[in-house]
Amino acid sequence: MPKNDVAVVGIGQTKFRSKRRDVNIPEMIYEAVKMALDDAQMEPKDIDAILIGNMDHFEGINLSEMWCGIDAAPGYLKPVVKIATGGTTGSSLGICGYYNIASGMYKNVLVVGWEKLNEGGATTGIITAFDPVWERPSLAGALGPLALMANIYAAKYGITPEQAAKVTVKNRSNAANNPFAHLQMPNITLDYVMSSQMISYPLRLHDCCPQSEGACAMIYANKEEAKKITDNPAWFKGVSTAHYYTFGCDDLMYDLPTATIASKKLYKKVGIKDPIKDLDVAEIYEPTSWAELSWTEALGFAEPGGGGKLLDEGITQMSGELPVNPSGGVLSTNPIGATALVRFAEAAIQIMGRGGKRQVPDAEVAMGMGFGGSLWTELCVMGKDPYPLR
Amino acid sequence: MEKKEKEFQIKWKTDLPYRYSIGELAVKYFEELKKRKIMGSKCPKCEKVHMPPRRVCVNCFIEMKEDNMVELSRRGTLEGFTVVNYPFSDPNTGGMRPFPYGYLICKLDGADTYLMHFCDETDHTKFKIGQRVEAVFCDELPQEHESYRKELKGDIYDISFFRINRDEEK
Repeated sequence: MPKNDVAVVGIGQTKFRSKRRDVNIPEMIYEAVKMALDDAQMEPKDIDAILIGNMDHFEGINLSEMWCGIDAAPGYLKPVVKIATGGTTGSSLGICGYYNIASGMYKNVLVVGWEKLNEGGATTGIITAFDPVWERPSLAGALGPLALMANIYAAKYGITPEQAAKVTVKNRSNAANNPFAHLQMPNITLDYVMSSQMISYPLRLHDCCPQSEGACAMIYANKEEAKKITDNPAWFKGVSTAHYYTFGCDDLMYDLPTATIASKKLYKKVGIKDPIKDLDVAEIYEPTSWAELSWTEALGFAEPGGGGKLLDEGITQMSGELPVNPSGGVLSTNPIGATALVRFAEAAIQIMGRGGKRQVPDAEVAMGMGFGGSLWTELCVMGKDPYPLR
Repeated sequence: MEKKEKEFQIKWKTDLPYRYSIGELAVKYFEELKKRKIMGSKCPKCEKVHMPPRRVCVNCFIEMKEDNMVELSRRGTLEGFTVVNYPFSDPNTGGMRPFPYGYLICKLDGADTYLMHFCDETDHTKFKIGQRVEAVFCDELPQEHESYRKELKGDIYDISFFRINRDEEK
């Protein structure tokens, strides 16, 4: 059991874009960190410890915490830990930050996720994360396996390309309400998505997330510290994580079993009986349009095979009972090491009521999700207080 | 008018050799592969047959040894497919991976886990989940790939790709 309640008291993110050639990596990180510090009215000297993460080899660099975790994420003379777990890097950071406060180790912690994908090769980098003998020869980064999963999922449940395209239309038009989102497309149409280039059947270009550059920073604090900083924090109600098999082919995994396992545990912990009714908003990690349909089932928002119907009925739209990805989600913005932390940050923004045009009215319980590695899931539920739902 | 971006680039080519220990069971796998045999490892407790073979069973945390290796069929059932149609550099070769290429996940007869591999089919309309597929070894490539035929060496490229086995279909 956590010793301390954990609050989010400061948030910063850069405007995500495909290229940030105007800044180097530390300069880009500084933007998000400065914004989070200003938001919490804190200075570097006030921060107890720093967690920073990205996927080094996606940029072709190493030991990035040494040269960007010090001045930009102010780690000078402080404890700094780097975390890199693939797509889940941001949620691993988010959850480790939670552990650091919940355990009583620190009174506050700065959590920073970032990526500058245009400076490397994400697909090549992803391939090197997999077994050199068994998996690398035919692996095509993330999209090949995600295409296989979409293909199996579609065949099993009769999900149509049109239902998948609707996810992109929903998320990228939501992104137009988010000033930080990378691909903002207020007038996007089904036809635009469905006539885009076939990247890896059944995934078309606009069924896939982009590659983005940017950083996200969050400041967490315990109850005592949070009281001094803000009267409107977002509180963690709980976190949950589940890892899976070693090899991508140890199971078919099209239905993301780790999301089912992690969400069931978390719902029990925080008193969620019906996620559609009990959650007000969810920021989920959908690397492809097809994945959002399948992941919403795995998270218990719909029956297996019911993800398409859930979307068709408008439940996950901004005006629906459980808006999914008001920020535009991963289909609009994907700076890999920051991507899942943005999910946590956006969940907190919704709880704080600071979402502007992307705000879900009266959001009191929000979920954030990370996805990555060999089909891992990491989740958080935040609210207006740290207690389980009654 | 758009400002021209200032860019500083350094380009060079170099060899970056590295060593990687594949493990005892993989050594046996590749020795047998040279004889066109595909081996998995069977957990002595839960009897799950793992492909690729490995030392420790994920379910039981029990050690599997060479004695626990079992021969699998070179034939299996198609579980999923795609046609990769985008460019990227291949960390195994240093060059661009040729595309488009067929990419499939199948279950070999006798295995409990799946296998991802190349497929010589690049028209996605020709695939159907449930089709029978078969491993094609590099020394028995069909005539249209004759120039790529080579001796089995006991490496991962000994199986060149899988092909849809229409003869086996009903």
